[in-house]
Parts: sequence; C-alpha cells; structure tokens
Amino acid sequence: MNVAANRSDHGPAKEGLIAVIPLGRVGEDVLRVVADSLQGILRLPVDLLEPEPLPPEAFMELRNQYNAMTIIKHLSNNRPGKTMKILGVTTKDLCNPILTYVFGEAYMNGAAAVLSCYRLHRGRESEFAPREVFLERVVKVALHEIGHTFNLPHCHSGRCVMRASNTLAELDDKLNYLCDYCEMFLSEAVRDMLEREKGGAPQDAS
Amino acid sequence: MARRHRFMVVDDELIVRESLAAWLEKEGAAVDKAESGEQALSLMEQRFYDILFVDIKMPGMGGFGLLEQVKKQFPTTLVVIITAYGTVEHAVQAMRLGANDFLVKPFDPESLGLLVAKLLEHQRLLEESQYLRGEISRCWAGLDQIVGKSPGMVELFDTISEIAGSESSVLILGETGTGKELIARAIHANSKRLGGPFVPINCGAIPESLIESEIFGYEKGSFTGAVRAKKGLIEVAEGGTLFLDEVGEISPKMQVDLLRVLQDKRFFRVGGVEPITADFRLISATHKDLNSQIANGSFRQDFFYRINVITLRVPALRERKEDIPLLANHFLQRFSRETNRHVDSISDEAMDILMNYPWPGNIRELENVVERAVVTSKKRIITPDAFAYLAAEPAAAMSCAGPRSLQEAEAAHIKRILDETEWNISRAAKVLEVDRTTLHKKIKKYDLHQHLNRPETDRR
Repeated sequence: MNVAANRSDHGPAKEGLIAVIPLGRVGEDVLRVVADSLQGILRLPVDLLEPEPLPPEAFMELRNQYNAMTIIKHLSNNRPGKTMKILGVTTKDLCNPILTYVFGEAYMNGAAAVLSCYRLHRGRESEFAPREVFLERVVKVALHEIGHTFNLPHCHSGRCVMRASNTLAELDDKLNYLCDYCEMFLSEAVRDMLEREKGGAPQDAS
Repeated sequence: MARRHRFMVVDDELIVRESLAAWLEKEGAAVDKAESGEQALSLMEQRFYDILFVDIKMPGMGGFGLLEQVKKQFPTTLVVIITAYGTVEHAVQAMRLGANDFLVKPFDPESLGLLVAKLLEHQRLLEESQYLRGEISRCWAGLDQIVGKSPGMVELFDTISEIAGSESSVLILGETGTGKELIARAIHANSKRLGGPFVPINCGAIPESLIESEIFGYEKGSFTGAVRAKKGLIEVAEGGTLFLDEVGEISPKMQVDLLRVLQDKRFFRVGGVEPITADFRLISATHKDLNSQIANGSFRQDFFYRINVITLRVPALRERKEDIPLLANHFLQRFSRETNRHVDSISDEAMDILMNYPWPGNIRELENVVERAVVTSKKRIITPDAFAYLAAEPAAAMSCAGPRSLQEAEAAHIKRILDETEWNISRAAKVLEVDRTTLHKKIKKYDLHQHLNRPETDRR
C-alpha cells in the first residue's frame, strides 16, 4: 500500500518515517509539491500513501465542515507502524471547535497534521488564484503544519513560513521556507526524532 | 515574544480546552487548562497568568463568578470571556465585571490572533508603566535621596511616608537651604499623583505684577501683550502637585485668589469667563514666621489655615550636626563624579571644621563649600586648608545668609539681644543703646515674643 514517492541520500533505513496521505481525491500536482517540499526541509524521504476517506466522525453537520482536531487524532492513531509524522491533505473545508475555519492544523510535537486546499484556491482580486499561487500556498501550509509537529512555535521574525497566517493575504506575504533560527530548531528536532527512532527500531522493524 | 507568556483555558468541555490550548501553544506560550473555576483559582495561586480564557457556562463556579474572583484577587491578569451563546446582556455583564474582552464561539482565527496580540500589548504596557513608575519614583527620589540619619530627619521621613498618600495641603517650614523643595518632591514621588506633574513656583522670584497671570494663565487679548491664551501653572499642575515656594511672599490679594481656588477647586484665567476645574495637591514652603505675618496683617489667617493642614518642619543643619559627615561625603562623591576629579575623602581635621561651623546657609551652603573644595583640591584627600576660610569668618558667612531687609535685620538683632539677656528689657536696651520705651515700641512693632521652649535657632 505504501508508495515510496521520493528517496533521499539517507538511504532506505529512514524510509517510511514521514508520510503524506490524501484524504479523499486530491490533485496529483498538489501531493507532489507537498511531498517534495517536506523532503526539502526535512532532508528525509517522504512516503506518499494511498488515499483514504476522511473519517466520518470528523464531519460537523451544523457547520458543514470537517473538524481538523478529529482528523489529526484519527491520523495519529491509524498511521503506519514506522511513521513518526504524517500529513493529511484534503480538499474539504476544515474548522475546529473554536475557530470558524483553519487552513491547516497540528498539535505541537504531535504525530499528525492536516491541511485543506479548500480556501487556498481563492484569488485576492478574482474568484480563483492562478494555479502556481495556489500550489505555493499549499506548500506554505504544509511546511507550517509539519513545523508544528516538530515543536516549532509561531515565528515572530521576518517572513518565515512559521509566522502565523490567518488570512490569504498573510499567507501570501510570507516566504515558503524557514528562517535561520527555525531551520536550526527543526534540524535539532529531526535529529532527536531519528535518535528516538533508532532506539525503538528493533520493535518497529519486526 | 519578549518573555514566555502563560495563559489558562478554563472550560468544562475537553474539546474546547484542547483546541484553544493547541492554538495558544503555537504562539509559543505556556498554556494550562482547567475544567472549573475552582481549579483555575487554585492554579492561579501557584503562578502568574497573563491571560485567562474563561467559558461562561460551567458547573460550580461559573465564568462570571471566576471573573469576579480573578479581578479581586489577581487584578493584573487579563480575562477574556468566551461563550457559545453570544447575547448583548452577557457581553455587557462581562464588561461590567471587568472582562478585558468577549468572544463568541466559534471565532474567526484572525480576530483571535488580533485579540491575543492586543491583550499582550496591553499587558506589556501595564508592565512597562509599572516599571517606569518605579524608575520615576527613584529618579524623583523619593526619600532615599534625602540624606540624613539624625533623629529629626528620621522623624521627618516617617511623617512624609504617612502623609504622602493623603490629599491634604502641606506646609513645609524651614530655614533657607534646608531642602524644602526636596521634601516637597519626596511627598509628590510617594503620592498617588506621581504620574502627574510637579510644578514648583518660587513666589518670591516672580514680580507681583506677573504672578497672577503666571499662576492662573490668561485669555488672548486680556491685556496688552496677551497675543495668545496661556495656561497658568495651576492648569499645568493638573493631576499633580503645585509647590508654592516662599509662600510668605505672596500678596494679600493673591492669597484671596488662591484661597478661592483651594475652596472651589476651580478658577478663571485672567480675562476668562469660563471656570476651569483645578485638580492639584498644594504643598507650600516658607522660611518666614507666618504667625507673626498674620499678626501684623500681611498674611491672611484663612489662607494660612487652608495651606497649613499638615505642617512639616525641616531641621536646620546645625540642629542635625551628626548628618554633616554623611552629607559632606554625599556631596564629595557627587562632585568628584560630576567634575571628574578623583577626590576620595575629607580628612578628620577638615571634617572637624565642617562640624564646628554654624551653617547659616544650611545644606545649600555645605553643598557649595564641598563643591569649591573638590574643584580646587589638588590632592585626593581634602585637608583643613580647603575649609580654613570657614573657621576664620563664621560671622561674616552668617551675615550673608541672614535677614535681607533692614527691618528684618533690626527685628532679628533685637530678638537675639533679648534672648541673650533672657528678655531683661533694661539690660537689652543698654546693649542696644536705646532707651526702654523705644525697645518696647520695637518689640510691639515686630511682634517679638519670648519662646521659652523653643529650640535655639540662632547663632550659638
């Protein structure tokens, strides 16, 4: 069921640690840019998993939206054995119990994150944004949410991708990469994760 | 964020606590969760929280109950009330109880972000203002910049601490150069009016013709030269303290005008028709004997009672000789720092001269003497020769700081001779080389009295 989308120089031992999973039908180009961008900042191979439907319990009928927190819990509980971080991608509109909408969601230091393409299509002056603008937004949300799973808080310096962005204008304004500080913290967190993984490898491998 | 902020989410619904806490944690804050008002209060006793997010409906102590307790017990913590049922009544009640904001679930992520940023800025300004108040208080010195360990000064410090918080008018009595303005500043610095201005007016230095427009201000065109309206010093002192130095110099007419302001708490600018509200605390000071001025009619009794609710007497330097080394060293350090001359100390012999000098000009004179010694010193220790002129001419030095007018000098001289002769009129008249009738007339004219219990204030 797992499809190794990308391989890095780290070799096969690190495969399967990071995964991207489409929740429902998601465009091929979207999944490709997400997997590529994650592999770019994490310097680890990223597995692209087969699509799965959104968990039905996440649907909030009154709001006609999906609860991102429920999706994260579902992904975290059902991720493949070796996967340490998993990012779900959906085209449905997401919210959480306190917010009217979210572009993406993740717990700090959690195992799972989710991003929604639903609101990223909108143009700021026209109905639809050009495809490259849309894909750029997808990348920013993906990097931002996966950053939270590596315990990166919101960044308050410059236009780092970890800066909080609650509107499309704020999302478009920031860059699609980490500032030097966030990059340093991320590489430390990745190293810690790999060490933890190495310690627990025999059980996972069996 | 400059420091790591700490928030608490108080909600009986687990999912709300988790979602909001997760959002706040991403801001880099430390977040605690409580499922009831009671649990929140017990957490608050253990550590400081910047902001509390509180749901209205909870079993046990509700959100409003918690809000009331927090505002009472932990007033520096900000509280945001959250609810799923946003009614105007709820919002009004929350604001009335002191909530800092009100949010209806679910909220727009942008508004939550702006709200948190706004509240943290508010919190930062509160902390900054608290810090600056402390700094201002130190710069304004309060009491710690007034040097003195003598019993008289210790008693004065105690009195200042007691009365600073009240709004009553204070009259500071003391000879010239005893630091009356410093005492007034210390009262201001320790009062609730610290945030407001301290406006000193030397009533003796402003000509009679100008003092009215200086104090009350004037409207444009009220007199020749009034090309624009000008605020008076009473208006400048709004919310702060007005310090009338040399209050004994104020003319009887001005005393009436000021009395009216003190009674009505409002006044008119010169040429103005609109009353202006006055909100200031009055501190006055004088080196004169106001009682004798009242007796001879130059000072109004009703005005005296208004300004003299609390009286402080600043002892003359010769009455607190034990403070002389302390003060001399204080000035030595200050002037050697300011003039960049490395003078470390005053020799014991030199200090003896300072101790034995009568200091008619009080601390101001001591300050000048030490400054002169520091500036002219060629050694690191000040030796007796730096103060030799004090030992040689104490009487001459005294006469410089004595009474200014001929009449005052005459009154002071007669009083001194009377005190020296223990008010034996015949002996005093003989010393003064006048007859007894003339002396009696002078005593009556200057309203001189024998104060048996009064500490000696003249030359020893």
